[in-house]
Amino acid sequence: MTAPAPAPAPARPRRGTALGRATSRLFDSRWAGLAGLAIAVLAPFVIATPYALSVMTSAAIFVMLASGLNIVVGFCGLLDLGYVAFFAVGAYTSGVLSTRLGLPLVATVPAVIAVTVVAGIVIGAPTLRLRSDYLAIVTLGFGEIIRITANNLDVTGGPSGIYGIPGLTGSPVVFYYLVVVVVSVAVIGASRLGRSRLGRAWRFVREDEDAAEAMGVHTYRVKLAAYIAGAVWGGLAGVLFAAQLSAISPGSFTFLQSALVLMAVVLGGMGSTPGVVIGAIVISLLPEVLRDLADYRFFAFGVLLILVMLVRPQGLWPHRSREAGS
Amino acid sequence: MGRSRISVIAAMLAAASLLTAGCGQGLLDGGSNSGGDEGPITLGMLIPQSGSEAAIGPYMKNAAQLAVDEINGKGGVLGRKLELKVADDACDAQTAVAGANKLVTEGIKVSVGGYCSGATLPTLPVFGKANIPMIIPAANSQELVDQHLKHVFLINGTGTQQATAAMAWMTKQGATSVALVHDNTSYSKDIAVRTQKLLDEAGGPETAILEAVTPKESDYSANIHNILAKKPDFVYWTGYFQEGGLIIRQLRQAGYKGSVMVGDGAVSEKLAEIAGGDAAEGVYATMTQTPETLQGAEAWIAAYKKKFNADPGPYSNQAYDGVRLAAEAITKAGSTDGDKVIAALEAVDGFPMFSGPLKFTADHTLSTGGFQILVVKSGKFALQDALK
Amino acid sequence: MAQLIWNGLFVGSFYALVALGYSMVYGIMKLLNFAHGDIYMLGAFTGFAILGAVGGVSPGMALPVLLGVLVVTMGVTGLSGVVLERVAYRPLRSAPRLSLLITAVGASFALEYGMRAAAGADPRVYPLRLGGTTVELLGARITLQQVALIIVAIALMAGLNVLVTRTREGRAMRAIALDPRTAALMGINVNAVISRTFFLGSALAGAAGVMAGAYYGKVDFLMGFLIGLKAFTSAVIGGIGNITGTMLGGLLLGLLESFGTYWLGGEWRDVFAFGVLILFLTVRPTGLLGERVTERV
Repeated sequence: MTAPAPAPAPARPRRGTALGRATSRLFDSRWAGLAGLAIAVLAPFVIATPYALSVMTSAAIFVMLASGLNIVVGFCGLLDLGYVAFFAVGAYTSGVLSTRLGLPLVATVPAVIAVTVVAGIVIGAPTLRLRSDYLAIVTLGFGEIIRITANNLDVTGGPSGIYGIPGLTGSPVVFYYLVVVVVSVAVIGASRLGRSRLGRAWRFVREDEDAAEAMGVHTYRVKLAAYIAGAVWGGLAGVLFAAQLSAISPGSFTFLQSALVLMAVVLGGMGSTPGVVIGAIVISLLPEVLRDLADYRFFAFGVLLILVMLVRPQGLWPHRSREAGS
Repeated sequence: MGRSRISVIAAMLAAASLLTAGCGQGLLDGGSNSGGDEGPITLGMLIPQSGSEAAIGPYMKNAAQLAVDEINGKGGVLGRKLELKVADDACDAQTAVAGANKLVTEGIKVSVGGYCSGATLPTLPVFGKANIPMIIPAANSQELVDQHLKHVFLINGTGTQQATAAMAWMTKQGATSVALVHDNTSYSKDIAVRTQKLLDEAGGPETAILEAVTPKESDYSANIHNILAKKPDFVYWTGYFQEGGLIIRQLRQAGYKGSVMVGDGAVSEKLAEIAGGDAAEGVYATMTQTPETLQGAEAWIAAYKKKFNADPGPYSNQAYDGVRLAAEAITKAGSTDGDKVIAALEAVDGFPMFSGPLKFTADHTLSTGGFQILVVKSGKFALQDALK
Repeated sequence: MAQLIWNGLFVGSFYALVALGYSMVYGIMKLLNFAHGDIYMLGAFTGFAILGAVGGVSPGMALPVLLGVLVVTMGVTGLSGVVLERVAYRPLRSAPRLSLLITAVGASFALEYGMRAAAGADPRVYPLRLGGTTVELLGARITLQQVALIIVAIALMAGLNVLVTRTREGRAMRAIALDPRTAALMGINVNAVISRTFFLGSALAGAAGVMAGAYYGKVDFLMGFLIGLKAFTSAVIGGIGNITGTMLGGLLLGLLESFGTYWLGGEWRDVFAFGVLILFLTVRPTGLLGERVTERV
């Protein structure tokens, strides 16, 4: 029963009236981005309880993760079920260096970038020749290998992990704004990458790998680049994560976490920067909004996910290609 | 297209305004908003209600609620009622931090939760910053103690204390070769590794093997093959009852005839039920004093059963004691001020708990774990040896 | 050695049974049905509920009663699979393929935590257990119950194989797997066939759930998660979409775990299993029996 993937031709609703065009221009990425940034900056003026700040900070970090995964899955079309591996590598690298060597967290960033690039190459190089779902299982496997290794080694603190990681700032409000700045830069950076020459190559590979190869795109190298970019984004998100929590343990880097990040990307609309940001915010805030349902929390979360997808099958804010007829 | 995006944005804005409606808690509104000195005194409890450890949550929540209701029935604390706020930590660090911040925001005075060490560790600074004392009923990894934080108190026996009790019993039983089996979580591995250290240092029983299993599976025959290859005459399981029952059953099926002992996480009637038949008969357990083994505790169990229509389980008694201890400390302090409550907790001497009279060490742990040996008799745990 | 192989094969036959549903659904719809493991959980609980309703059973009747429960449960989980497809997957068939992943994970959460609300978070214990009469064979300890379970599993898998390779129904499935649009043009009722595929896959998972409940005894609402992952892994090792390959993949994963535990200890077992899997896939990128295909033509 092996079969070639039937490329489903998504029915794209036709652009409507002039009014529709005007509004859609209004909600073009740039304006939406500014509006989103304004909401993020103003939110603490509305509510700044420790709880709200902690939830918003987590959401912002999750946005960074999702925008990193969007490079891999959304732009380049590589299904990655183990993205949390890079998140873990980043968090553990900064955690180990800062607690064992007494470095301030900022000083660990170059090391984190170096280590995640290496991790991206190590994981990507042997696997990127695989196609879609085989790639998915291999990335899932790497995600599990990283988590179990962190759980078994002494340098990573074993199952209880690392504690006492120094924060980046003392005040949660300042830290929140710092995270917002870093995440905004990351999101804009990812979006720029997606529109660059490399980004066009990614989309070409996603749409038709063989044609891309035939047109002279070095698909392997291009895919590896996507992977490395995604790895660096994930690793830096890991640094923020370690700074926020002060303690990290393998339990934060399970397959479920990978699945949630992927869901954020798909829910928002693969390849669409504003979509992915919205998707990440929804996925990370929804369980908190539903917290008071206690035992029914994840039941409601599951049902809502199904409903949202049924109503908006292309994602909340689908990507709209500039090239006609894609 | 544009219109549907507008609707998305409208929905998000509506959700955001719902979230923030009516809260005068922004940056410009000034700081203090936590519960005042009127109304009930709130205690906060972080426990897993979802995720892999979700089964534990109700045991702890019910028992804590039982204590709150009993105290309120006697007139409350400082003339005010107690109120229990529970938040889900899903045994996950990030969820736990959000939950801890939620409890802080809701103005709790004392935290009486904490089950998974990995999820409890990152909450220490959250409660610490708010100067909220933590009475941790279950989580007991060494990392919680090693930070020497003044607001952190552990009322569960530590891994070292449990390992010492296990060692004493294995020596007493004349074991020669011991298989230590853990589930690779910090709690379980901690006890196993500490027991191994004791076995290696002292004469007497030797460690045959230190074996890790993957929790939440059904088939442990591969692990059991490893264990039996080393021909141990004593097996010590330091994980929880879910896997413990399966491991005992599969050990017996594989023809193992020696002794089996389990740690306190596996002390539940479900253990024998899962093991099936009489496979768990004669299984020992290292356990702090439990309602079952205390005289006069039948009434407590009956009250619990009546109220919740369920049996108490692992850490029910610690959760119950945690709430009582918090109430005692607030009463002694005469205030809900964090520093005064902490001072009152440090001064506690001889407060009666299931684990025995309480006095904290300098590390804020129990001075004696109060561990004793239980044995399974017709499907229930009964006292075997008090290890006095 | 014989014991290691036997342990691996026994565990592997469970993986294979669950993996088949994964593989069939993937073959026909290219959908990673993350809720499939939870159908297995649903089967285990359905069996538990039926046994509870039946009441006491004399030990001599255990096997026939369990077989009856097995059949009923397969019907129940099969139908739930059909409903799942109808509600969560069919409306999205023209959407991007990964959108289905979201509803699959959503369905998985809903099933897990719905069952938690219905049956509680505490594990439940089957009232009827397959005990253990042990025989020695080539140095391995084997219980007759294990043999019975393996026979049932083999019978189910063989039946499925005949159905897919020999019948009109099976041909329709394979046709849809190759090209749904052309299949529809050739007069195949695609929706009906997909429904039946879900029925079959979910019935097999339900059967595995009852068998696990009866043999191991303990059921809980999260029991499907891990085995779902392993079933997915098995399906990929074997060559996802290929029935025989999937069965071999399940057995191979069972053996890998058994030997991994023996060589490296339980802590590193999954690292070993996944490590071998990754190495294997880099050498043979389409699994054991998967055909080399070009994805887009």
